[in-house]
Amino acid sequence: MKKYPRMTLNERVQHLNLFINFTVLVITGFALKYPQAFWVSPFTEVPLGMTFRGLLHRLSGVAVLTLGGYHVLYLLFTDQGRRILRDMIPGIRDARDLWETLKNNLFINRPAKELKMGRFNFREKFEYLGLIWGTIVMAVTGFILWFKEPWLTNFPAWTYDVARAIHFYEAILATLTIIVWHFYSVVFDPEVYPMNWSWITGEMTEHEMELEHGLELERLKAREKEKAGETGADTGKAYPFYGKGGGKGSSARSIYSIIQDFNRDIKNWKGM
Amino acid sequence: MRDFKEWAVFSGILSIALILSMAGGVWGADNSLCMGCHQDEALTRQDAQGAKILLYVSEAEFKKSVHGGLSCTDCHAQIKDEAHAAGGQKVRDRVECGTCHQNEAKEYRQSLHAKAIMKGTDAAAHCYDCHGTHAIYPVKDEKSMVHGANIEKTCNRCHSDTRFVKDHALGAGPTPGELFELSIHGQTGEVTCASCHGSHDLRSLIDPQSSIFRSNVTQTCGVCHPEIAKEFEESIHGVLAARGRSESPTCTTCHGIHGIKTKVAPESPVNERRIAMTTCPQCHAAERISETYGITTGQVKSYYDSFHGLSYQGGDTYSANCASCHGVHNIRPSSDPKSTIYKDNLQKTCGHCHPGASANFAKGKMHIAASIHAEEFGEKVAGWVRVVYILLIIVVIGGMVFFNFTDWLRKTIDKRPR
Repeated sequence: MKKYPRMTLNERVQHLNLFINFTVLVITGFALKYPQAFWVSPFTEVPLGMTFRGLLHRLSGVAVLTLGGYHVLYLLFTDQGRRILRDMIPGIRDARDLWETLKNNLFINRPAKELKMGRFNFREKFEYLGLIWGTIVMAVTGFILWFKEPWLTNFPAWTYDVARAIHFYEAILATLTIIVWHFYSVVFDPEVYPMNWSWITGEMTEHEMELEHGLELERLKAREKEKAGETGADTGKAYPFYGKGGGKGSSARSIYSIIQDFNRDIKNWKGM
Repeated sequence: MRDFKEWAVFSGILSIALILSMAGGVWGADNSLCMGCHQDEALTRQDAQGAKILLYVSEAEFKKSVHGGLSCTDCHAQIKDEAHAAGGQKVRDRVECGTCHQNEAKEYRQSLHAKAIMKGTDAAAHCYDCHGTHAIYPVKDEKSMVHGANIEKTCNRCHSDTRFVKDHALGAGPTPGELFELSIHGQTGEVTCASCHGSHDLRSLIDPQSSIFRSNVTQTCGVCHPEIAKEFEESIHGVLAARGRSESPTCTTCHGIHGIKTKVAPESPVNERRIAMTTCPQCHAAERISETYGITTGQVKSYYDSFHGLSYQGGDTYSANCASCHGVHNIRPSSDPKSTIYKDNLQKTCGHCHPGASANFAKGKMHIAASIHAEEFGEKVAGWVRVVYILLIIVVIGGMVFFNFTDWLRKTIDKRPR
């Protein structure tokens, strides 16, 4: 099964970092809003638990922002990053893709229109934009709440109350977006279920590429042919900067191959 | 003349001596006639309920007591002749301690116990119930039943006897004795029942001169806690309580009565964990009280929704509770310049925990409740933020749910085995 590179190791580490810190933020954040919920008892039953909660929340917040800063530098100053930036810019094509997908799903297009989407389809672009927006809003309001004394030296008290409200509701929006949009895209979508593993392995199968990034697949294949034609060998390198190219994955190989086999079995399940 | 004069003086002295010796009341009086029968330990009589009453008197004990120099009939003055000694007839009337102890008797007659007796409850405390009968010692004497260390036991003989308490409807739940034993007052060993209730002047709860009458409680506690009492008297609660407002708390409302513990004890109502959960909200979140006094119940809810309230509910002891900002015994309305929450004092109050708190900290409403209908600007804006965001969430997330659901549906249908 041919594999296509999707995320470099650096990118996967960035994503994992974000994953962990976002989760910590969500848990420690909502723990303050719902202190009597059952899942908050680890904080409430322990002396200084709530103080620790606050510390964790701020630490994770700083971690996300540091990661964000690193990511911006990555986008600006590395080849991979610059390419991502270029491929992530949303356009009319994405709006069209979304609209056509919706029509397909509602059986308005009969037969369903085949859509070839680029390296990052409308789902990912939407997710990415949402992440930028959410991070900015949460960071700004978060800092107001954290450094209230200096802030309130220069601004009226009502800005604190407003920042608090925004911080809470944006948190709800962000958390629900991750659950409803992102988790569907990478877990519950029948075409990738039980999971799109590229966040660990860094690769996607040809089939997955076909379904979700058809245009990119075409482009890559054309490039391969070109390269093969030039040098007479299949270099197999999809992107010029990828070290080892498609195929070999990460060090989580052995664990992954078990999961991979399981994954394949589920996908090929034809019933009893 | 000289002879007569001498004789007159002599006979005068003799008669006086005779009268005196007949009347008794001289130190080391002769009680042998009485003791003849009453030294018998088996001497008893039956009272109206049929219970046996011991009539034995230990002469040794009596001689050691404070009344030891008196004769029996000095107190048992009803016995005027030999009739009792001869026929063993029951003596009808009680001993009148007031014959000698007039001031105490006068005081006692106004007291709760005396009034109960007069109304017919003979089981209430008479003089001898607290002081003893034949073995009365001075108060300062350790053997006295009303010595500081013994008073509790004396009072609790009735007031912690569950049967007695039940029979005379003296209250339900743990007895005062049980509560007091565990309280901080009980453990210091310096406070006794009489410290707060008085002794001969122990009056009914509804007697305006009683030390435990509602309006007098602050004064009573103030005997040992004078600065706090003074502070409290000037506070809003103190002022209202003194005016007779029964909903306004006094010392006992917040601290308890017999079972007062220090504020570090978790069961104490003034423990920092309970102040904002129970002690203050029980009145300030009560609709009836709010309506009567024109205050709002929103303060409690808005506190619970604020950062301080949320963190506090999570168990944080650093977060502000009601007392942190409003004070404890010096609670005054925000319009009072001496109040911790007076507008010019707020910065300092907030500054206790937030060093660097600017004047802006204190501006605007503290107990905010975000609502688009609110009058305060901050509340209104936060209210609008809420409305807009909820709409946004419904539209955006709703849209996502719809989109993904249809996607899932289509893909599931397409994957059906054919």
